[in-house]
Amino acid sequence: MTGSTSRLAERWQRPDLAPPRPRIAIETFAGNWKKTNEKPQWIDSLIVETEGDDLHVTIFGSQPPSPASWGRARAETIYSGSIASGDARAGAFATRYRFDEFDVEVQANLNLGLLVVATFVRFREPGALHDRFTREFFYRVVEGEAS
Amino acid sequence: MTVVALPTAALDLGVLLGDWRNTNADGSLARIVCTPNEQGAIDVRVFGRFDAADEDWGSVPALIYAFTFDDPAAGAFSARFDRGAVQMDLQANVKAGVLVVVELVTFRDDSGRSNFFDREFFRRVNR
Repeated sequence: MTGSTSRLAERWQRPDLAPPRPRIAIETFAGNWKKTNEKPQWIDSLIVETEGDDLHVTIFGSQPPSPASWGRARAETIYSGSIASGDARAGAFATRYRFDEFDVEVQANLNLGLLVVATFVRFREPGALHDRFTREFFYRVVEGEAS
Repeated sequence: MTVVALPTAALDLGVLLGDWRNTNADGSLARIVCTPNEQGAIDVRVFGRFDAADEDWGSVPALIYAFTFDDPAAGAFSARFDRGAVQMDLQANVKAGVLVVVELVTFRDDSGRSNFFDREFFRRVNR
């Protein structure tokens, strides 16, 4: 086995990682997040809050047809940045929203201090608009810091 | 919010179709093959790397997405693969000719492995 393939095997098969699996440090995601793009886009801002092992996100739309306020949703799954740790600095969370005409899957991940948010918009009935993918970037709002 | 319902034209799949190879030889996935299916969407076949060997994860239908609401071209897909204790959600989009693939891996066992996020890049070798 080469060094390369050894690393590949270790990535997925890890008998050395004894249960229980580590707690993911979800507090890393917490904060108020604002879009980096000065122009209108799909999402304007997000609020991420944590309580214990629960993470909740509140999303605000930027322009129609994105709803002005998406409401608050609990993360269904939270991912660390590594199979071997609970470090969330390169981790992600996923949740979903349901609106009158469409459903949205939301996946947000941390990358070098930015929150990168992908959405997958699916209309329940055929219409004028196509199902759509978005990927947008958000910076953490620091209180007292000029934006 | 109300959106006027009109018939939606099928998305052009051309940007997504083909045989995509990982740009990183040490990546966890080796290859992704996207082919059109009878539903007007695509089937996604993944070759993972487990235990130092390529492993065919099989083919699943994917959900496809445009980049804008009125764009007739598909540019992204999502697909779910189940392999026993491992579930992997793939979220992929094409950017500058590269298939950017997010992997959301969930372990459904009592191991000490963390659910984790990863991202890999693939280049197209064949349409």
